[in-house]
Amino acid sequence: MGPVELLHMSVFSQSFSPCGRFLAAGNNYGEIAVFSLSAALSPDASEGSQKPILNFTAHDGPVFTLLSTDTHLLSAGNGEISAWSWAELIKKSTKAAWTRKPSYETSLEIPEINAMIINPKDNSLIVGGGDNNIHIMDMETGIFKSVLKGHTDYIHCLCFKEREGEILSGGEDGAVRIWDSRTNRPVHCIEVFRYEECARPQFGKWISCLATDSDWMLCGGGPSLSLWHLRSMSPTSVFPLPGCQREAVFHQDLIMSVGEGPYVSHCLHGGTVKAQIPCTPSSLNTLALNLKNTEHRVMTVGGSSHQIDVFTNFSYRAFSLSF
Amino acid sequence: MHLCVRARMSIKFFQIVQLAYWRMGSITDDEVIRKRLLIDGDGAGDDRRINVLMKSFTKWCHSNFSPEEGFSQYQRMVTSLAQCEFSMGKTLLVYDMNLKEMENYEAIYADIEKSITSAHEKIAECKKEIQRAKRIRKNRQEYDALARVIKQHPDRHETLKQLEALDKELQQLSHIKENVEDKLELRKKQFHVLLTTIQELQQTLENDEKMESDDTQESPMENGD
Repeated sequence: MGPVELLHMSVFSQSFSPCGRFLAAGNNYGEIAVFSLSAALSPDASEGSQKPILNFTAHDGPVFTLLSTDTHLLSAGNGEISAWSWAELIKKSTKAAWTRKPSYETSLEIPEINAMIINPKDNSLIVGGGDNNIHIMDMETGIFKSVLKGHTDYIHCLCFKEREGEILSGGEDGAVRIWDSRTNRPVHCIEVFRYEECARPQFGKWISCLATDSDWMLCGGGPSLSLWHLRSMSPTSVFPLPGCQREAVFHQDLIMSVGEGPYVSHCLHGGTVKAQIPCTPSSLNTLALNLKNTEHRVMTVGGSSHQIDVFTNFSYRAFSLSF
Repeated sequence: MHLCVRARMSIKFFQIVQLAYWRMGSITDDEVIRKRLLIDGDGAGDDRRINVLMKSFTKWCHSNFSPEEGFSQYQRMVTSLAQCEFSMGKTLLVYDMNLKEMENYEAIYADIEKSITSAHEKIAECKKEIQRAKRIRKNRQEYDALARVIKQHPDRHETLKQLEALDKELQQLSHIKENVEDKLELRKKQFHVLLTTIQELQQTLENDEKMESDDTQESPMENGD
């Protein structure tokens, strides 16, 4: 990988292994790199431990989304979903367990897949992408059992509400749609850009990040990042962050979000931005928290750089892993 | 006298033991040399002093000194003996001190162990507290956010009162409307009665006029006959 390629690399997705000791990251060249967190976090870590233990080309196009189940790593890019066994990846074998494609209506162009989540209740994979529809695949049989239609433009992000079993999807058309996962029918549609306090017409109406915490929902993108109360369907706080946010998560009493701008923003539910922690990439695409493993409890962010910043204490950057 | 003899005997005994070990081969030459140097090196002054004392004692016993010389020799031996005793006393005190120091250190060690475990426990407690405080803060923030939204909507009591006032007004107006309608009906009926009476009167008058004109027509016809 030459220096020019490294310069133009963007990290689009990350996922931690089920044991919490490895991190997989996908970039715009279609490569997936697996890093060993236990080596990088150990007291005698060196330069070499910040390099991937395995780096392979998984897809033709960029790897837009990565997801870890209990045994496999799922990756999706241009229209196809591949699964890799974590045990095999740790042993450095790069053979895919399976590769599947959702049934698209037109076979002319293959739309990209932007987001994937797992519905733990009925063990199904929910996929959203460029064809404006949400496809639901059963993990055991691999059959795509249903399609949720409703969006008028491509889908950026998906989210799942465990308690009610509802799927939330946000897309380029500016609407956040809530679907019931059992009946596969739309329940609500919130057009965020119609609310004056959130709308930022200079950026557009697209929604690129969604996060949910039972009754509350975070959404942002073109409109400002805002916290919504889902029962009353009203925005309660709007966060004064200058750029467009690409990923946001709820963590304990804070909201952490990344987007345009070389920092991670820590915000409180009340609408104040508590801190902005600087990082190396000039703009960030993905944020991941490793909460499964208490020893390696880190936050990693990646974006327009070949380096992935690792935060051991969430308030400052500890070191960077690099492709 | 007993002291010197005992000291010398102990040293000699030790040397014999060393020799025995060396003969048996379980101890090397280096060890022997080292041990010897240590012992002799340590008590260099003392051992020499004891040897000198023994020699001078035997010389003093055997030789014929003049009384002053003998006395001075005796003095010298006594001082030498006193020095040896002093040295021994000092070593014993040092030994006691070392023992007490060891006990002291053991006590301090145990103390520190205890405080380490209590600090660990306190840290765990504090961590739990912080988790609780974070949850509380999150709940407060959510509450505040919702309260802000709710405040934007008007007060329920006010709205209810407004509704009540409007209801009353509505009732009053409909009451008035009823009254007015009733009056209208009444007037209509009265006018109807009046109009029918007028019409009947008109009819009667017309009938009367007709009858009168019939009468006058009949009477000229009777006159002409």
